[in-house]
Amino acid sequence: MSLLKVLRATDLIRSHSALRWCRHTGSFPRYDYDLVVLGGGSAGLACAKEAVDCGARVLCFDYVKPTPVGTKWGIGGTCVNVGCIPKKLMHQASLLGEAVHEAVAYGWNVDDRNLRPDWRKLVRSVQNHIKSVNWVTRVDLRDKKVEYVNSMGAFVDSHTIMYYPKPGQEGDRRQVTAKYVVVAVGGRPRYPDIPGAMELGITSDDIFSYEREPGRTLVVGAGYVGLECACFLKGLGYDPTVMVRSIVLRGFDRQMSELLAAMMSERGVSFLNTTVPSSVERQSDGRLLVRYLNTTTQTVGSDVFDTVLWAIGRRGLIDDLNLGAAGVKTLNDKIVVDASEATNVPHIFAVGDIIHGRPELTPVAILSGRLLARRLFAGSTQRMDYADVATTVFTPLEYSCVGMSEESAIELHGADNIEVFHGYYKPTEFFIPQKSVRHCYLKAVAEMAGDQRILGLHYIGPVAGEVIQGFAAALKSGLTVKTLLNTVGIHPTTAEEFTRLSITKRSGRDPTPASCCS
Amino acid sequence: MQRQMINILTRRLGTAQQMRPLSVTAQRREIFKVQSAEDFDKKVKNSQQPVVVDFFATWCNPCKLLTPRIENVVGEQKGSIKLAKVDIDEHSELALDYDVAAVPVLVVMQNGKEVQRMVGLQDEDKIRAWVAAAVKQTKQ
Repeated sequence: MSLLKVLRATDLIRSHSALRWCRHTGSFPRYDYDLVVLGGGSAGLACAKEAVDCGARVLCFDYVKPTPVGTKWGIGGTCVNVGCIPKKLMHQASLLGEAVHEAVAYGWNVDDRNLRPDWRKLVRSVQNHIKSVNWVTRVDLRDKKVEYVNSMGAFVDSHTIMYYPKPGQEGDRRQVTAKYVVVAVGGRPRYPDIPGAMELGITSDDIFSYEREPGRTLVVGAGYVGLECACFLKGLGYDPTVMVRSIVLRGFDRQMSELLAAMMSERGVSFLNTTVPSSVERQSDGRLLVRYLNTTTQTVGSDVFDTVLWAIGRRGLIDDLNLGAAGVKTLNDKIVVDASEATNVPHIFAVGDIIHGRPELTPVAILSGRLLARRLFAGSTQRMDYADVATTVFTPLEYSCVGMSEESAIELHGADNIEVFHGYYKPTEFFIPQKSVRHCYLKAVAEMAGDQRILGLHYIGPVAGEVIQGFAAALKSGLTVKTLLNTVGIHPTTAEEFTRLSITKRSGRDPTPASCCS
Repeated sequence: MQRQMINILTRRLGTAQQMRPLSVTAQRREIFKVQSAEDFDKKVKNSQQPVVVDFFATWCNPCKLLTPRIENVVGEQKGSIKLAKVDIDEHSELALDYDVAAVPVLVVMQNGKEVQRMVGLQDEDKIRAWVAAAVKQTKQ
């Protein structure tokens, strides 16, 4: 009897499933679904599909709120639509432009003097590919029997999600109940709180389908999104400037980040260091006037651009979920989870970019989503290992790393217990076109003692992601310096330079090589 | 009405100068783009004649090559078979109901049922032979 009183007090009595429960006290409540996934991105889809494979009934919600300038996209989440995939394609486009110039040195009769990109054609090709991936995703969901609804879900209580099947038609409201809920709604780019930011600036959500040529672009933000965008814009022949609030690539190895910025400067990307934007306004000629403040010199400045791209960070999309109704704890704009991705509410989980304090990477989202589904529906106990996750920054000389930064290793183990092997190297293919090798550099951060277990590997150079991927598996297996130096390199490659590391930072010797093959 | 006007015009032209044949292919009725699920039911499933359904996507390059080829071939059949074009992004549920995965897909429908299908781009001769076979089969 007191149970009913409690239920009345908390309004749960209104929920259909709760009513059923009250009438049949003693029988186990039946839910509409075993699992409801909020979010159809890398994490959500991986979790949903794996859950179905394990025998669960799954419903997946996905919805994209248009950007301030009206950009929308289909199912698949950030990576597929406005992240990794289009980014890599535009990165490739800019590399190919570079390759045309190099081809001349290799004897090709190309006229590389007035090489101009067809921005609209590039955007169309990229968007066509993205749409084909959207379609394949839908077919896959259908084949795997994951039910899909194109609308936003919000909590009514911890087991009930409500949604509007036709967003905009508030009269038609539906509800579903779920035994488990996985929140995988991801994040979106932030806008600065300055005049003109939303009306006149765009973000990574918009650039990959941007109908106008970007022209002279101001990229505000020096995380990997800002640097990658600035670099492919530079490679396509536009004139980007990067505005850096304090440091480039916060969270990454300091030395490597500074080297990467130097590489970008050498290639002609302008930097406005220790500067923050104050306002954006449209001039009479249609171009954008940006006023900014240099926080070191405390001087104000301004400049005119065709496009302003905000890349100042991303916020978690907790606002529309009504998490309070479910009692889920958040921190800043992210959901707090434990080592099994559980929130403070035992049957509600979160995966992907929405969770607090974990790497915001697609492969992390996918694997953690899959492992979670197996734990929920297949009796698995395996948890996600978030340590030693390899990642790559896709600038024209790419930077890839796995494991600890040098400063993290020193902080954890002490400088006397760490040995850093390093070296500059010269890729064979760079000589003929006389490409700069000034920033081709790599290092291994290792323990001092014994066989010298490797704690971190860092590499700047061509195809860095391809180079580091295999080493990530090696690191996870306990790679030591001893094994590394006894590994025979593949020649001529740049990856083999890891097997040729011999100079330590401690020795003070010049890490610049004289020649290869010795 | 159209036929009467054409006849009047051709007779007028015929008297003024050498007879020039004016052909009015009823392409508007033979070849059409499906607008909705109801439109599909009315003009494809409930069609008296067999219909080739061209499932295509705007982002698919082989589809762009296939559509003019199938339009040509259907036009040659002079009304014995119709062509319905379905944009799979506009009508995703419909396309999924017909198991469309890769595009382009051509599906011959008669009396509301699928008779045969062809997946992927083919050259015009192959398409012509395929459509002719479908027309023949549906006449039986």
